[in-house]
Amino acid sequence: MMLRGFILFGFCLALPLVSVGQDAEAPQKSDKIAWHGTWQAGLAEAQRTGKPILLVSAAPQCHNVPGVW
Amino acid sequence: MDRSFLADEHVISASRKFVCIRLATYEDAEENKILADIFSRQGVLENTVFALLSPDGKTKLVAAGRSPVWAFGGVNGPGINAQPEIAIQKMAATMEAIALSFPGKGKTDEGSAPLPYIADMRLALNVSAADRQPLVAVFAKDKDQRKKMEQELAKVAWSDQFIGEAQYVLAGDPAEFKTIENFEPRTGYVVIQPGTFGLTGRVIDVLDAETNASQLVGPLAQALGKHQPSELTYDQHRQAGAKAGARWESKTPNQEQGSGRGRGGRPRR
Repeated sequence: MMLRGFILFGFCLALPLVSVGQDAEAPQKSDKIAWHGTWQAGLAEAQRTGKPILLVSAAPQCHNVPGVW
Repeated sequence: MDRSFLADEHVISASRKFVCIRLATYEDAEENKILADIFSRQGVLENTVFALLSPDGKTKLVAAGRSPVWAFGGVNGPGINAQPEIAIQKMAATMEAIALSFPGKGKTDEGSAPLPYIADMRLALNVSAADRQPLVAVFAKDKDQRKKMEQELAKVAWSDQFIGEAQYVLAGDPAEFKTIENFEPRTGYVVIQPGTFGLTGRVIDVLDAETNASQLVGPLAQALGKHQPSELTYDQHRQAGAKAGARWESKTPNQEQGSGRGRGGRPRR
């Protein structure tokens, strides 16, 4: 709970600084997210670096047809 | 994937301050448990999961759900949605704010990130096809050699030029390439064009195993440039796959289909 409160507090403080619509900092050159493909490797990297985690998961199929998210 | 959020340039920019993990649901029993702990309903692990977590993976920093819509608003519904700009901006701003609270450990996060690989060749082909990207396999029977190659490739994979531009997999057994055309069991970086449905592949280049990171840059760029992504629309892909008999069997049961909540179609986000 304390951590969450800290995050929300930080978010409120930082929001004016990160108004993305007017952000002066240009996005980096590449236009794709680079994904770790396993939980174990990704978690180890987050613990090593102290960075937060963006996690998504999906089955790579539709109507059992593969090759599509 | 909900591309309108995850393809946004500001979300992508913010993602560089996160460790980004993308799992394939229903492919690994242990990962299924972790995902279900993060988000499930009535004990059912659903097809898609989204969360922002603390570096130890234990604390949800926003509401977890099926997609970013659950935390930032937007349009719920099947498949990919065109999300309102305000929801996308909220996601990017929230990620930037969280990054300020978790600035990382300084020098430890520079220059030594491991190669972001997919668990095995079968899944890597499918994911590469779904992302419409080339797949680079680090192939060496010797574990130490493979590790050395992995480390060299990692330096390149995270560079501005290559970040997010390819998928990666580690392989030590030629049998892992059984569905891949033109493969010769020679140690090296094997660049693969995944088949349209990610069940097969074709070798489009092989880079020498002894190539160091700086020497890899040019040849790797050239090799990745040979990849020809599928141009089928989503519906065309699904129809062509069904007609061709392309079928994916997940390694663990699809709980959403089993619960009657999903019918095997495109999941709601």
